[in-house]
Amino acid sequence: MSTFEDLAEGQTITGKPFSPTRETIREFCEASLDFNPLHLDDDYMQGSFGKTNFGGIIMHGMTNFGLLTRMITDWAYDHGGFHRRLETRWKAPVKPGDVITPRGRLVRLRPTLKSRWVTLEVEIVNQRDEIVAVGEAMVEFPRHEVAA
Amino acid sequence: MNVKNNPADSFETDFWKDAAARKTWDDLVPGAPRETVPYLLTKEAIQKYCRSVGDLHPLYFDEAYARKSVFGGLIAPPSIHILLMFACTPTDDWMRSPGTINAGQSWSYAIPARPGDMIRLEARCLDKFIRKDRLFAVHDNVFFNQKNEVICSGRGWTIRPQ
Repeated sequence: MSTFEDLAEGQTITGKPFSPTRETIREFCEASLDFNPLHLDDDYMQGSFGKTNFGGIIMHGMTNFGLLTRMITDWAYDHGGFHRRLETRWKAPVKPGDVITPRGRLVRLRPTLKSRWVTLEVEIVNQRDEIVAVGEAMVEFPRHEVAA
Repeated sequence: MNVKNNPADSFETDFWKDAAARKTWDDLVPGAPRETVPYLLTKEAIQKYCRSVGDLHPLYFDEAYARKSVFGGLIAPPSIHILLMFACTPTDDWMRSPGTINAGQSWSYAIPARPGDMIRLEARCLDKFIRKDRLFAVHDNVFFNQKNEVICSGRGWTIRPQ
């Protein structure tokens, strides 16, 4: 297990690729209880509401959030850190058949009076290297091992 | 107290039902609390969520591994609030309005949720505005466990269908 002392600004982390299908989107509906027809009903998506029309069902934006969380926690658990914050914005819809991959970069290591913090810039890119989600995360590395 | 512990049986998956009863953007009063319902978080619900995002970390699945960890037992991943947001709100909550678009969220995590936790949500619409001709509403949420400890707090920006 690495520690805070081994970390450096500019280091990168990468999550596992994920390929949403109609089936995985349905599974996420069941698991998250988010049954918004944006994710289930192509006919609904053929219409338009407000100014937005995606032309077919789209993956839940919060699946991006879950995938970023997985990348961050996999890294944090291995390094003795605790995932403390994640802020995200969605830049483009993700559709069945896309392949999306989370990425992160350590941008700031900041000791505080009682702890130590790492800020990461995070994003998700699709198979065309288009950014579909961006955000910022914080991981805490306590000075002494604590019960989480 | 209205307690849900098996949403697979009781959760209304037709978001069109009760659509007429939901608040529209015009009805939202920033600062006014949303109605919420307590929810018993089960190991099965946690693991179902984890599988849906391909996250099979042993802290969520392997009791022996988790017991030896700093957490001392099975936990839920931080992003479990994705499930809790819908589990802890009634069917006429405005976040269920068909066509609601999630524009982004920010969350802070204090302690992990665990199997068996009775989850309580305090939530409200914090702000609403029109930008680029779209109707935005900001929601503000804090999840607590049965000991009244904060699990996580977060805020989200949504585009309203009407």
